[in-house]
Amino acid sequence: MSQERRDILEMLAAGKITAEEAERLIAAVERTPVDASTSVGVESSNRPKPKYLRVVVTDVRGKEGSPVNVNVRVPMQLLRAGVRLAGLIPQPAMEKANLAMGHRGVHIDLGNIKPENLDELVDQLNDLTVEMDEGKGKVRVFCE
Amino acid sequence: MLTLKFRKQGRGFRLWIPLFLVWLLLLPIVIVLLPFVLLACLFLGTKGFRALAAGWQLLTGLRGTHVEFTEAAHCVALHIW
Repeated sequence: MSQERRDILEMLAAGKITAEEAERLIAAVERTPVDASTSVGVESSNRPKPKYLRVVVTDVRGKEGSPVNVNVRVPMQLLRAGVRLAGLIPQPAMEKANLAMGHRGVHIDLGNIKPENLDELVDQLNDLTVEMDEGKGKVRVFCE
Repeated sequence: MLTLKFRKQGRGFRLWIPLFLVWLLLLPIVIVLLPFVLLACLFLGTKGFRALAAGWQLLTGLRGTHVEFTEAAHCVALHIW
């Protein structure tokens, strides 16, 4: 028996709620996880897989204040290949890279990025949008 | 196909370079470097075949890459089909 159902029955036993209310609450508790899992599944299956990672940088610090734009589109296939290649980095070099990234405030263990969980990682990138707006400059990172 | 685009003060040009020509130019360098790469793999304990496969995937994964830099009337762009 789940904790929610037990709580509802205890409230019913204590006379805090009526039998009809308890029935409605139990029905709602039973329905909620199914609905949530269904909606997430439908959403993720309907959404097309991202093909590219786009980085757009706009900065108004060029000559005579003219805007400078940098637009980079990286195919996900290239990212996959890059991670596979990173998986071949020898352990001592990997530790040095992790240490160097840690010094710069990026605490990621590169050894944890494996080809097995790469697809999951790329799927999660679909939801990623990073926007930085700092006065004259703007950086956008997103998947498309 | 590799497309390079340059633009400066309203004038510019595009360059279309077939990728196989680039690979042909790179082939001798790859052949020369291959024994060293395999030796390095052997020395570092990495599987040479996996390294070559990853390198090949990296090359084939380049398709769709786009890099563009624009500043006022200047523009440099690279696109790989």
